[in-house]
Amino acid sequence: MDPECARLLPALCDVLADPRQPVADDTCLEKLLDWFKAVTEAGSSLLLLQDHPCLVELLFHVLKPQDLSSRILSFVLRLAGIFAAQENCFQYLQGDPSLFVASAAGQLLVRVLDLALCGPAEGHISLQAWDWPACARKIVCHLEDCLRSEATPRVTQALHVLTTAFGHCHGLWTQGLWVQLSPLVARLLEKDPVPAPHALVDLLLSVARSSMLSSDPGLWETAAQTLSRLSPTQAGPLAAGILKLQDCPQALRIQAFGVLLQPLAFVLEATAQAPGMPGLLEGAAGDLMAVDTLPPSKSACVGLLCSALAHLELLQPLPQRPSPWPQAPLLAAVVAILRLCNGSAAPNSEAGGRLCAMLGGCVRVQRAALDFLGVLSQGLGPQELVTQVFAILLEYLVSPDSSPTVLKKAFQATLCWLLSSAAPPGCCDLEPYAQLVLGELLSVLRKRLCSPCWEVRDSGLEFLTQMTRHQGGQAGFRQALLASEVPELTRQLLQDPESYVRASAVAAVGQLSSWGLLAAPSSPEHAATPQKTPLEELLLVLTTDSEGFPRRAVMRVFTEWLRDGYADVAEDPERFVARVLQAASGDLDWEVRVQGLELALAFLEQLLGPCGPSAVAPPGALAQALQALCRVQLFEFAFRSLFDCDRPVAQKSCDLLLFLRAKAIPSSNSQEAGDGPDVTSVEAALRRWQAGEQGQPLGELAPEAVLAVLRSMDLEALQDTLAESSDHVERSPQSLLQDMLATVGVLGDNEADCY
Amino acid sequence: MPEIRVTPLGAGQDVGRSCILVSIAGKNVMLDCGMHMGFSDDRRFPDFSYITRSGRLTDFLDCVIISHFHLDHCGALPYFSEMVGYDGPIYMTQPTQAICPILLEDYRKIAVDKKGEANFFTSQMIKDCMKKVVAVHLHQTVQVDDELEIKAYYAGHVLGAAMFQIKVGSESVVYTGDYNMTPDRHLGAAWIDKCRPSLLITESTYATTIRDSKRCRERDFLKKVHETVERGGKVLIPVFALGRAQELCILLETFWERMDLKAPIYFSTGLTEKANHYYKLFIPWTNQKIRKTFVQRNMFEFKHIKAFDRAFADSPGPMVVFATPGMLHAGQSLQIFRKWAGNEKNMVIMPGYCVQGTVGHKILSGQRKLEMEGRQVLEVKMQVEYMSFSAHADAKGIMQLVGQAEPENVLLVHGEAKKMEFLKQKIEQEFRVNCYMPANGETVTLPTSPSIPVGISLGLLKREMAQGLLPDAKKPRLLHGTLIMKDSNFRLVSSEQALKELGLAEHQLRFTCRVHLHDTRKEQEMAMRVYSHLKSVLKDHCVQHLPDGSVTVESILVQAAAHSEDPGTKVLLVSWTYQDEELGSYLTSLLKKGLPQAS
Repeated sequence: MDPECARLLPALCDVLADPRQPVADDTCLEKLLDWFKAVTEAGSSLLLLQDHPCLVELLFHVLKPQDLSSRILSFVLRLAGIFAAQENCFQYLQGDPSLFVASAAGQLLVRVLDLALCGPAEGHISLQAWDWPACARKIVCHLEDCLRSEATPRVTQALHVLTTAFGHCHGLWTQGLWVQLSPLVARLLEKDPVPAPHALVDLLLSVARSSMLSSDPGLWETAAQTLSRLSPTQAGPLAAGILKLQDCPQALRIQAFGVLLQPLAFVLEATAQAPGMPGLLEGAAGDLMAVDTLPPSKSACVGLLCSALAHLELLQPLPQRPSPWPQAPLLAAVVAILRLCNGSAAPNSEAGGRLCAMLGGCVRVQRAALDFLGVLSQGLGPQELVTQVFAILLEYLVSPDSSPTVLKKAFQATLCWLLSSAAPPGCCDLEPYAQLVLGELLSVLRKRLCSPCWEVRDSGLEFLTQMTRHQGGQAGFRQALLASEVPELTRQLLQDPESYVRASAVAAVGQLSSWGLLAAPSSPEHAATPQKTPLEELLLVLTTDSEGFPRRAVMRVFTEWLRDGYADVAEDPERFVARVLQAASGDLDWEVRVQGLELALAFLEQLLGPCGPSAVAPPGALAQALQALCRVQLFEFAFRSLFDCDRPVAQKSCDLLLFLRAKAIPSSNSQEAGDGPDVTSVEAALRRWQAGEQGQPLGELAPEAVLAVLRSMDLEALQDTLAESSDHVERSPQSLLQDMLATVGVLGDNEADCY
Repeated sequence: MPEIRVTPLGAGQDVGRSCILVSIAGKNVMLDCGMHMGFSDDRRFPDFSYITRSGRLTDFLDCVIISHFHLDHCGALPYFSEMVGYDGPIYMTQPTQAICPILLEDYRKIAVDKKGEANFFTSQMIKDCMKKVVAVHLHQTVQVDDELEIKAYYAGHVLGAAMFQIKVGSESVVYTGDYNMTPDRHLGAAWIDKCRPSLLITESTYATTIRDSKRCRERDFLKKVHETVERGGKVLIPVFALGRAQELCILLETFWERMDLKAPIYFSTGLTEKANHYYKLFIPWTNQKIRKTFVQRNMFEFKHIKAFDRAFADSPGPMVVFATPGMLHAGQSLQIFRKWAGNEKNMVIMPGYCVQGTVGHKILSGQRKLEMEGRQVLEVKMQVEYMSFSAHADAKGIMQLVGQAEPENVLLVHGEAKKMEFLKQKIEQEFRVNCYMPANGETVTLPTSPSIPVGISLGLLKREMAQGLLPDAKKPRLLHGTLIMKDSNFRLVSSEQALKELGLAEHQLRFTCRVHLHDTRKEQEMAMRVYSHLKSVLKDHCVQHLPDGSVTVESILVQAAAHSEDPGTKVLLVSWTYQDEELGSYLTSLLKKGLPQAS
C-alpha cells in the first residue's frame, strides 16, 4: 500500500465506523473492496492488518450491536471475507490467544456465512456446499481443515464456530453445512483421546436443538457414538442435554439415561447389603462391578458423582424426564451415598470399601446428594426407604461434623420431605412416621439454634419459619413445638449479635405468633416481670436495632399482620399503624421507609377497599377513612416521601397517593376548583421539601385540605419523572461525549486510580 | 506436560473488575470476583459464559478466593454464586467475610435506588452467598481438598486484605490481590515469606509510579478541610461505607482533638457504629500503633464524629460530612452536593476514583455546569478537590515483593498495559524471570516441571551410609533401589525389601550363548583347557573348575558338550546373569576367538 493511502486509511475507517457520517454510494464501496482485494492478493493480509490496526478496529466495531447502515455492515462483512480468504489471516483472527477475540472472530465467520447464504437468494442456494459463493466455500474449507487438524485448539475453534452457526442461524444452508461437515465431526470420535470433548458436546447439542437439523438420523448415530466414546464425566452434559430434548430416539434416551445412572448404580451395587433390592441398571449389574466404572482418582470420582447427581436433580422436575423414573433405587442410591460420606455405611464389598475411603467426609458430594434428595421428595417412595431418608437426614442434622453449608442443605431437604409427607397436602397432620421424626428434629433444632456459627443459627431459623408457615395449623406440629424450647429460643435470638440472624428471628417470631405459638413462659420466675408481647418486642427492634435487615424484616411481618388481621393488631389497628409509621418514616434505611409506605397502602386498602376499577369509595366511609389517615399522620409521611432523595421511596409514595386520589376523588371531579380550604401552608411546605429542605413539619391536616392538595398536584407527571433512572442525565450519550471530551488531558495522573 | 494456566476475565491490562482463573495441576481456582461500577447492565460482571460453556460452574471450579472487600474484587460474588449458580466454597479472611456483605448491601441499595433495577442480586442472595464463605486465618494452611491447599498472608491495603498462596503438590501460585508495602494510619505493610512460588500474580496499579509519602497527602487534606471550616464553609466527603472512610475519620478525629476545633463532623447512613464494631473486632489486623494504644484508647471510637441527620444539611455554619455513596451517583451524598454546590465557600473532597457516568467523574474532569433532571443546570461554585488515598504498592514496593517471594515467573494484572510493559521489562531484567501480562480473555500457559517426592527406606539409607557416603542436603545423590508406587505414594526400597513387601519370589534371568570350536578332544579335556585359558586371562576374577566338569567365572557358567552331528566340533555353552552382562559378553567374545594351542 502506498504511503499516502496508508496515511488516509485511519480517517477513512473513522468515517466508515461513524454512523452519523453520510454513507458513500455503493459504487465507491465496491471500488474500495476491489482495491482491498488487490492489496491482499499482492501481499499478506496478516501484515496488512498488523500495519493498519484501524482495519481490525473497524471489523470489531461492527460486531457491537448498533445502528449501522446495512450498506456499511455488508461492506465490512465482505471486507472481512476478503481478509478471511487468506489462511494466515484466519489464524490472526481466530487463533488469537484471547478467548474474547477468538469468540468475536467466530461470530464474524458465522455472520459472513449467514450473509452469503441467506437473503433473497436463499431459495436458490444449493444444499451442496461446493455450489456456494466463494467466500462461504472458503470458510467451509477452513472449517474442514481445522476439523482435520491434529492441533486441538484448531479443532476446538472450528467446533465453536459451528456451535454458534447452528445455534443462531436457521437458514436452509445450515443443512448443507451439516451434511458437508458431519462426517468430519464423526471422524473426531475415531481419535484417541477424542479431541475437544466439551466443544464436541456443545456442538452436538446445538445441532440436536436446531429444528433444521434434528431430523438427520446420522446425528443421533454420532450422538450415540459420542456417548460411548467419551468418559462418563465428559459424556454427562451430553446425556443430560439429550434427555432434555423434546424429541429424540428412545434408544438414545435410554443410553443417555444409563450414562447418568451408572455412577449411582455402581454405588448401589457396591453397598448392597442383601440381594433383592432393585438395581438402577437392570441387566448391567454384572458388568458394573467388572469394569472400572468409577475413575481411579478421588477427585475425578467425586466430580463424576457430583455432576451425575446435579444432572439428575435438574431432570427430575421436567415433564420429558425418562419414564419410568426409577424413584426407589435413586432414593436408595442417594441414601447410600450420604451414608458413605458420613461414615455410617459398612459395605462389605471391596468396591464399597474403596468408595468409603474416597467419599468419607466429602462436603462436595454431601451438598450435591442433599440437593438431589430434596428434589426427590416430589415423588413417592416405599415406606421403608422414606424411613431411611429421615434417618439419614437426622444423622446429618445431629452430627457435629456437618459443615454449615451441609447443615443448610440438610435442613432444606428435611423441610421438603416433611412437607411432602403431609398428605393430602395442607389439610392433614403429618404421617405417623414424620410425626415421630418431628420430636427428634425439634430437639436438634434447639441445639442448632445455639450453634456458635451464625450460618447454622440462621439456617435453623429459616427452616423453622418455613415449617411454621406450612404446618402452623396442624395439631401434631403445634403440640411438638410447644413442648420444645424452640419458641423461647427463637425469641432470644432477636438479640443475636449477627444482624442476619436477628432478621431471621424476626421473621420466625412473626410467623410463630401469627399461629399463636409464642406463648409466654409459664414458669413462676417470669410471672413477676410481665413479658413483652411479640408486637412490643418487634417494635423495639424497629426503633432500636442498628442495622437494616432486622428492621426491614419487622416491617414485612407488620404488613403481613395487618393484612391477615393478627389479633394484637386488629385490636386497635389505628394505634398500631400510627406507631409503626412514626418509626418507619424516620428510618435511615430507605427500604424501611418503602415498606412503611407498603404498610400504609395495606391500611388504605382496609379502609377504602382494594385497588381496582370500582374506584371511588362511598362518601361516608371516605370521610371516616380520611379522618383516620390524618390521625395516624399518614399524609405527612407520604407527602414528605414524595421528595425523598431515595427514588424508590418517592415512587412508592407517588403510587400510594395516586391510589388514594382514585378512591377519594371521582375523575369527573378532579379539576374542581372553587372555594376550597386554604392549602397555602401545605403547598409551601411541599415546595420546601421539594427544594430539599427537611425541617418543618406539616402540623395538623384536615381531610379537605388533603383532598385539595391531591387535586392540585400533577402526580402523573411526577410518576413519569420518577420512572426514569436517577442518573439518566449522567448516563445519556451526550453526557458521555461531554465527559470524554472534558477528560482529554485533564485526568492525567488519576487515570489508573482505583479503590 | 504439567502446566499452570492463567486467564484473566477481568483485571487483565485494566483496573476494572478483578477476576482471574488459574488452573494448577488440574485444579481450577477463581481469584476474586469483582464488579465494574462503570457499567449499569450485565457487563458490570465478568463474562462467566466463557467458563460455563459446557457444564456447571460448580463442577468446573474447585474454589473461589476473595482477596479483600472492595467491590471491584468481590462485587460479582452474589451474582456468581446465586444467579450463575456456583455452589462450591468461597474463601476469604474473617474481616473480609464480615465487611463484604455490608458493602455488597450498600451497593445493592444504591443500584436499586438509582435505577429501580430488577436484575440485581437481592439481600437474601447476599446472605445465601455469605453462607458459602469459609473464613481463613493468616498463615493458616487450609486444605480445600486432598490435593489443593491455600494460605493467606497480610496485604495491608484495607482491613482484612490478604495475598493467597495456592498450592497443589510442588506447584504453587501466589496471588497478591491489592497490597501496600508501606504501613499507613491504621494498617501495616504487606509481608510474604520466601515461598518461591512457580508463579506470582501481582497487581500493578502504580507500576511506573514512585508515590510521594502519604503523610504529605494527609497534611494537604487536613489543611484544606481546616481552611474551609475556618472560613465558615461546609466540607462534603463522599465515601463508600467502609474502608477509606475510617482512615479519614481517624485523621480528622486526631486533628480536631489536637487543634481543639468545634465544627461538627457527621457521618451519614448510620454505618459508623458498625464500622467501629468491626475495626474493634479485628484489631489484630491493624498496625502496631493502633494495637498498642488500643488498651488506653480505641482509635475507632470517635469523640467528634457524630451520626448525620438529613435535617443537618440545612443548618447554618461550618461542618464536615462524610456521606455515601462515594462517586456522587445517587442518594445522600448527591443530595447534599446539590445543596452545597452553589456556594464558593464550600468544598467537596473526592478521596477516590470515579467512573464515567457519575457526577463525581464530571466534576473531577473540570465540568462546572451540570445538567440536572428536568433541564435544570447546576452551577458548581464550591471547590472541588481530588485526593487519592488508595493504598497500593508503588513500583518500588512491587519490586520489593517480587524480591521477597522469589517466584519462578511473574504475571501482572490490575494495571494499565503501557505501565505494565515498563514494569515487566524491569522485573525481567532485575530478577531474570519471565514476566507475563495477559489481556482479558487471554490465557498464559506456563510449563512446569513437577518434583515428585519419594520416600526412601531406612534400610536403603543405612546401606548407603555403610558405604561411607554421608547424606548432604545440598548435593544430589544417585541411589539404586526398587520404586514402589502404592496408594499414590512413592517409596524407594532395596530389592530384597520390595520382594518381601510385595510377597514375590526372586526369579533369575540368565543369558546363554553357544560357542562352536573345532576340536576333536573329549569334553572334559576341553573344559580343562577353557579353565586354564580363562584363569590366565582373567587374573582379577575368581575362575573355578567344578567337579562336574563345568567352569565358572563369577556368575558365568561354561560347559563343554559334543556336537550332535559333527564329532570334530565341540560346543561351549555359556550362560550368565544380567548383573555380569559385561563380563559375560567379554568372555563369549574371548572364547569365540578360540583357545590357545596346547604347548
